[in-house]
Amino acid sequence: MTTSPATLRSRTGSTSIDPRSPRFGAGITAVLLLVVIALSLAAPSVGTLGQRAATPGFILFVAISALFAWGAGAGVQRHPYGALFRVLVRPRLDPPRELEDAAAPTFAQGVGFVITLAGIILHLAGVPFALVIAASAAFIAAFLNSVFAFCLGCQFYVLILRVRNARGAAA
Amino acid sequence: MNPLLIAAILIGLVTVATAAGLVWRRAQGRVRHSTSETVVSAQVLGADLLASGVTLLQFSSPLCAACRATHVVLSSIAGQRNGVDHVEIDLSQRPELASQFHIAQTPTTFILDRDGVVRARIGGALKREAVVAEIDGILVTA
Repeated sequence: MTTSPATLRSRTGSTSIDPRSPRFGAGITAVLLLVVIALSLAAPSVGTLGQRAATPGFILFVAISALFAWGAGAGVQRHPYGALFRVLVRPRLDPPRELEDAAAPTFAQGVGFVITLAGIILHLAGVPFALVIAASAAFIAAFLNSVFAFCLGCQFYVLILRVRNARGAAA
Repeated sequence: MNPLLIAAILIGLVTVATAAGLVWRRAQGRVRHSTSETVVSAQVLGADLLASGVTLLQFSSPLCAACRATHVVLSSIAGQRNGVDHVEIDLSQRPELASQFHIAQTPTTFILDRDGVVRARIGGALKREAVVAEIDGILVTA
């Protein structure tokens, strides 16, 4: 089995990665988010701030959010799931047919962080089911990315362009 | 909450996500023929003339892996056939076109005849056979 570098850095500074690595990470995230949803549904949804912050589902959710922040900031190529992929999964697979730019999955990590951060804030503020709803939204995005290679950021990039363009035209 | 209900909700969530994924995947690469006539002029493409046969107009955005793959397919087809051109536009450089042509995702490919009429639109990563079939259909009636 031939080996190839897990990441390539081009002369322009962009990093190329095995496209299966972020999908592997998204799969782990999806499963963990299901656990968060189950734990949150099993726990009472209101109580004091201290009680809400101490529920196991919330703690796991904060950890997931922190991992998104790490991926968005350091780039997916330095994400712990990427390291897991390289050590556990990659050696069992053929080399990738093609590499992808790390910037798009890194952007998707940012989207995940924003969704989970909103869930954290709303949950601490006492909004009922905030955690379940935010975790469900993040789950759907992670699941679609892992199973169908659907990239939320990529799909919404054009819509973002159109909104910005419309605002610019109206200004 | 009752554990059975929790399990049912989780299963429901996974089912909904799977259904959404399958619907999305089915729609990728599907060729759509519009009833309304949209025309892309040569000026929009920054050219004096359109291709004499068919123009494969690809709208892309940065960091779009499917756009790379689509570029390879379309430029290969254009390279092999006379009168067929491949033109790629980066929407981040020309965002007004995204609004003008109601583009929802990248890559989006327009298949234009020699008058610039959009004969077909394809959203998402596409298949070579579908494009070739469209080109043949247009050239036969040209």
